[in-house]
Amino acid sequence: MSGDPIMTDVPNSPADDTALNEQLERVNRQLLQSEKMAAIGQLAAGVAHEINNPIGYVYSNLQSLDRYLVDMFRLTDAIGSASTQEELEELKQSIDYEFLRGDLEDLVAESREGIERVKTIITTLMDFTHADEEEFKLADIHWGINTTLSVINNEIKYKAEVVKDFGDLPLVSCIISQINQVILNLLANAAHSIEGFGKIIVRTRHESNYVVIDVEDTGKGISQEHINKVFDPFFTTKPIGEGTGLGLSLSFSIVEKHNGRIDVTSTPGKGTCFRIILPIGTSDTGRCS
Amino acid sequence: MIKIQLVDDEPNILKALKRLLKAQGWEVDAYDNVDDALGGLLAHDYAVIVSDYLMPAVDGVTYLQFAKQRRPDAMRLVLTAHGDRQSVIKAINQAEVYRYLTKPWNDYEIVAAIQSAVELHQLVRENHRLLQTVATQKAMLQAREQELQRLEAEHPGITQVLRDTEGSILVGDDS
Repeated sequence: MSGDPIMTDVPNSPADDTALNEQLERVNRQLLQSEKMAAIGQLAAGVAHEINNPIGYVYSNLQSLDRYLVDMFRLTDAIGSASTQEELEELKQSIDYEFLRGDLEDLVAESREGIERVKTIITTLMDFTHADEEEFKLADIHWGINTTLSVINNEIKYKAEVVKDFGDLPLVSCIISQINQVILNLLANAAHSIEGFGKIIVRTRHESNYVVIDVEDTGKGISQEHINKVFDPFFTTKPIGEGTGLGLSLSFSIVEKHNGRIDVTSTPGKGTCFRIILPIGTSDTGRCS
Repeated sequence: MIKIQLVDDEPNILKALKRLLKAQGWEVDAYDNVDDALGGLLAHDYAVIVSDYLMPAVDGVTYLQFAKQRRPDAMRLVLTAHGDRQSVIKAINQAEVYRYLTKPWNDYEIVAAIQSAVELHQLVRENHRLLQTVATQKAMLQAREQELQRLEAEHPGITQVLRDTEGSILVGDDS
């Protein structure tokens, strides 16, 4: 994205391994960053939808409240000026006071619910993107999965039911924002692979020194000729302009950096299962910077 | 009374719209799923249908296509938080929607759009009614015409009035 050339200034001497490695590392980081931005860009549309709904009814409710208040003030103003009790009663009838009272309570409760929903969306989005210190820390994988699920919920909910089958997991030493990104990728792929309405199962379990995370879908599956290429950079079966072909290859390198493994099994027509195996123990051998 | 159908999977949207539209004196039926909304189409004669776009199972444009078949006269509007180009094109070309509105909305925009849809609906209805009147009257005229022709065939000249040069009516068997 910046002006950094990717291919041109490769050092001439093949012996210059450190320079090459450094450059590879830098390009890798750039790729990771741009894939993250692309993921956020795709999310933005979904998040806009998710926010516009509550904003829509809260905004409309405020305008209704405005009209209700006009009626209410007519009544309160009349208390001073009306000469008889009957006059007040009549006014009360004409503005449908009983309805107003009941509906005002609903209106405020619904609007509060809407604002709280917006607040939750923003918080999860911040959790998802902000926690991007490039450092290994003990983190709760389930919290990461749940945050990621709520961020991408809007893209998935019209395509699949998400089933969470969580085991007991210990805290895992990882860069949680990057693990979130891997999960996000797998979930997005799963949703894209489903034609009509399907099911996505997120399964976790603890096995001696590892945690295992499965993301399984009931989508159209990956054909035999493609399955060995899914982790290759720029490999995609999506039309030009729709997929970068980088999601899985970056997921692969993230998991690799964590000294873990990512595998795929798929039956065309039945579905696909991606499995991530992460070591629990502290690791800084693959640290990014 | 003018009936409006609302379809949205978000109950709070339906409640906010009801608040707004009932105050205009319209009868408002709200549905939070497409199945019930389809049932509602059979039971009621709606002037205007306002549907969300993104809903589970069936999207709003597909629903409005069904609605177009069942109630071709009902005006179709989309109200969505998801205004991308693809959905707009689909809405116009496939469901022939009258308006494509976005969330969040301004109350007066919604009311004005529905108001104008209602007027158009009434115009279409009035047009149908007038067409029917024309058809019945035409049928009546045709029957009379046929009767005259039958009489003329039986008694040639009976449908003609004969006058002399000064304008007087001549009555007689031979002219």
